[in-house]
Amino acid sequence: MLAVKNVSKTYASVRALNNVSINISNGVCYGLVGPNGAGKSTLIKIIALIIHDFDGEIHCSGQKNRIGYVPQDIALEETVSALDNLSFFGKLYGLRGKELKTRINKVLADIGLEERKKDKVQSFSGGMKRRLNIGCAILHQPDLIIMDEPTVGIDPQSRLHIFQMIERFKKEGRTVIYASHYMEEIERLCDEAAFIDRGEIVENGTIEGLLQKYANPAVYVKGRNCLPENISQYGTVSERNGGFFITSNAPLEVMEKIIECSKRHNSDIEQLELVRPRLEDVFFSLTGSQLRD
Amino acid sequence: MNAVITLELKKNLQDRGLLFWALILPIIFTVLFISVFTSGASEQESREIILSIVPGYTIMFVFFIMISMTESFLKDSKIGMVARIAGTPLPSNLYLLGKWISCMYIVFIQITVLLLFGKLVYQIPLEQPFYLIVLSLLLTFTVTGIGLALAVTVKTSNMGIALTQVIALGGALLGGLWVPVDRMPDLSQLISRLLPQYWAHQALQDAMAGTLQTVEFLQTFLILFGFGLAGFILALFFYPNFLKRAKG
Repeated sequence: MLAVKNVSKTYASVRALNNVSINISNGVCYGLVGPNGAGKSTLIKIIALIIHDFDGEIHCSGQKNRIGYVPQDIALEETVSALDNLSFFGKLYGLRGKELKTRINKVLADIGLEERKKDKVQSFSGGMKRRLNIGCAILHQPDLIIMDEPTVGIDPQSRLHIFQMIERFKKEGRTVIYASHYMEEIERLCDEAAFIDRGEIVENGTIEGLLQKYANPAVYVKGRNCLPENISQYGTVSERNGGFFITSNAPLEVMEKIIECSKRHNSDIEQLELVRPRLEDVFFSLTGSQLRD
Repeated sequence: MNAVITLELKKNLQDRGLLFWALILPIIFTVLFISVFTSGASEQESREIILSIVPGYTIMFVFFIMISMTESFLKDSKIGMVARIAGTPLPSNLYLLGKWISCMYIVFIQITVLLLFGKLVYQIPLEQPFYLIVLSLLLTFTVTGIGLALAVTVKTSNMGIALTQVIALGGALLGGLWVPVDRMPDLSQLISRLLPQYWAHQALQDAMAGTLQTVEFLQTFLILFGFGLAGFILALFFYPNFLKRAKG
C-alpha cells in the first residue's frame, strides 16, 4: 500500500501541490489525470523519492530499488547503444554479471528492441526511445512502476506495445502509477484514478465509480423532425454536430421516445446512438473546463 | 559509481568533437607555433622555445575539458537524466564523483599523448619521469576540479563556454604559456604567480629539463592541489542547488 498524506510542495512562490492525499493499493493501476502544469510530475517525483523537500508524508512499502520510474522526458544517453543504456541503469540498481545479462535480454524482448540493441539510441524513432525509456526502469523488476506521460508523441504501434506491457505488469500483480492527460488511456488501463488540477486532488476513486457519479450516459440523434417536443423532461438537450445530444439517466427510454416520435411524424433518423460516458465528461463536470484547455 | 564512469568514458571516447579539440587542435597549434617561433632561431633558442611551447600548449588545451564538463552536466539536467538517476539507489555524490573521475581519465590521456608527441616529434627531454607523472596527475586534478565547480554552477552552455575561454585563454596569456613570464610587465608577472597555469608550466619545463628541485616540486604540488581542492569544495557547495534545479 502506498499512502500519500497531506503532501504540499512550493516552488519559489508557486504552489505546485496543495495538501494532496491519496491511497494506492498493491497491484492496482492508478491513473493521475490532469492538464499540463497541474502538478502530476511533481507528485510523481515525490512518490519516486526524487524530490525530498516537501511538506506531508509518504508511506511506501518499498525502497528505491523496488521502484521503477519512467520519466516524462526521454532520459537516455543517446550517443551510446540501447544495450549500454540498459547495462548502465541495471548496474545503478545493483545488477551484475549473468543476472544483468539475463535481465537485459528479457527486457529487450519485452520492449521489442532485440534487433536494434547494438544501435545508438540517437538512430531510434520516438516510439523506440519511449520503449527503451520504460525498459531502463523495469530491469530490476520493481514492485511499483511509476510512469509519467509515457506515450507522448509516439506512433500507434509503439503506443499499443506500451499498453500491452502495462497490462502485463497488472497481470504480474505490480502496482502501476500512470500519469497522463490522455483520458482514453487512463480509462483503458487504470482501475482507479485521481483528477488533479492546480495542485489539488479534485476527486479520486475507481474509474467505474467516477463515471457513475459524475458522467451520465447520453443519446445522440441526427435527423429531421425526430425529436419529441417534451424531450427536455428526460434530460438535458444540446445541439452538437448538426444533431442533438441528450444527457439522461434513462438513455434507453429516450431512444424509445425518439423512435416513437420518428414513426409518428414519418421522419427519417440519420443517426441514433447511445453515447457512453467518458472520463473527459467527469473532468468537465468537476472543473468546468476541458482537459486540453 | 563505476557504471557512471564507464558510460561517460564510452560516450567521450567516441566523441569526435572532443578528439578534435583535445588532441588534434593542440597538435596543430603546437606544430604551427613551433615552426613560426623557431624560424631563424639558433639551435639553443629553438630548444628553449620547444621546451616552453609543448608543455605550455598542453596546459592551455587541457583547460578546455571544462566546456565538455559543463555541457555534460547541463545536458544531463535538461534531459531529465539527473532526476532519473536520483530515483535509483545511487547516492547523488557518487554521480558527481563518477562524472569527475571519467573527465580525469580523459585529461590524463590528453596530457600523456601531447607530451609523448613532443618527445617523438621534437625530441623534448623527459628527464624526471616520476615528477612528470605526478605533475600530470596534479594538473588533471586541478583542471577537472575547477571544471567541476564551473559545471555545477553555470546555467547555460554559453555561460560555460565564455567562462572557460576566460579561464583557459586568460590563464594562458597571464600564466606565461604564450609569452615567457620574464618578458612580461611587472604587474603581469605578479598576477601570473596567482595562476595554476604558471606553476604547472614552470614545473613541467623544469621536470622535462631535469632541473626540478624537490622543494619546488612540493611547492607546485601544494599550489596545484590547492586549486583543485578549492574547485572541488566549491562544486560540493553548489551541487545541492544544481540537483534542485535538475530535479525540478
